[in-house]
Amino acid sequence: MFTCGLLAGGVLTAGVLWLLSGLFAPLPAVVRQGLIVAVVLLAALRDAGKLSLRLPQNARQIPQDVLRRHLARGALQFGFELGTGVRTYVSASAPYAIAVAVLLSGGSYAPALAVGLGFGAGRALTPALRRLSGDGERWDDLLTARLSGMTVVCSVLIAAAALTVRQ
Amino acid sequence: MGEPVRPADRPSGARAVRVLLTDPVLPVAALGIAVIAAVLHAPVLTWAITGGLAGYSLSGSV
Repeated sequence: MFTCGLLAGGVLTAGVLWLLSGLFAPLPAVVRQGLIVAVVLLAALRDAGKLSLRLPQNARQIPQDVLRRHLARGALQFGFELGTGVRTYVSASAPYAIAVAVLLSGGSYAPALAVGLGFGAGRALTPALRRLSGDGERWDDLLTARLSGMTVVCSVLIAAAALTVRQ
Repeated sequence: MGEPVRPADRPSGARAVRVLLTDPVLPVAALGIAVIAAVLHAPVLTWAITGGLAGYSLSGSV
């Protein structure tokens, strides 16, 4: 249920961004592509600590009592709120970069749907791997030690994809 | 990126394989290879993988 919520939340946000992308359709494709590349590069620089830039976020945690009210419905709601990416902290720049990419790319709904599902699945990987590891505390230690590097690599890979992909 | 963690508790055997296969860095490596493979031939898949990278970059944030 948690993963279903994550996927639904990701698809909702990506869908809203895709609908709003129509507002940017009058811009020439080359300008939109240039803006996407600029934003993903700025995101990579920010994650690497080379750029200090405050970005909007909902600086709160999803209340734990969501899970206490009803386990299945609570897991669905908790996942959904996390999946939207707008109901809790956003600790990395990559989600902003991908949101701008969806907003500016326009065109078919398929890329936006793919991003939404990918985002939800990406968020689901963390608890899945932690559970599969069999030692959650050790996994948390590993994650803490490697998180900043992982965040930078994610941003750089997104920037590399944006630089390579053709509209 | 690879700071040693609790070396005294370093696992061995099957447990070491499990730890390796569930390493937090593994999805980044897998998605990285996938995005490189997809970027030239499968644009929609590239979007999905970059979405996955964006989602996974929020690990540790609840």
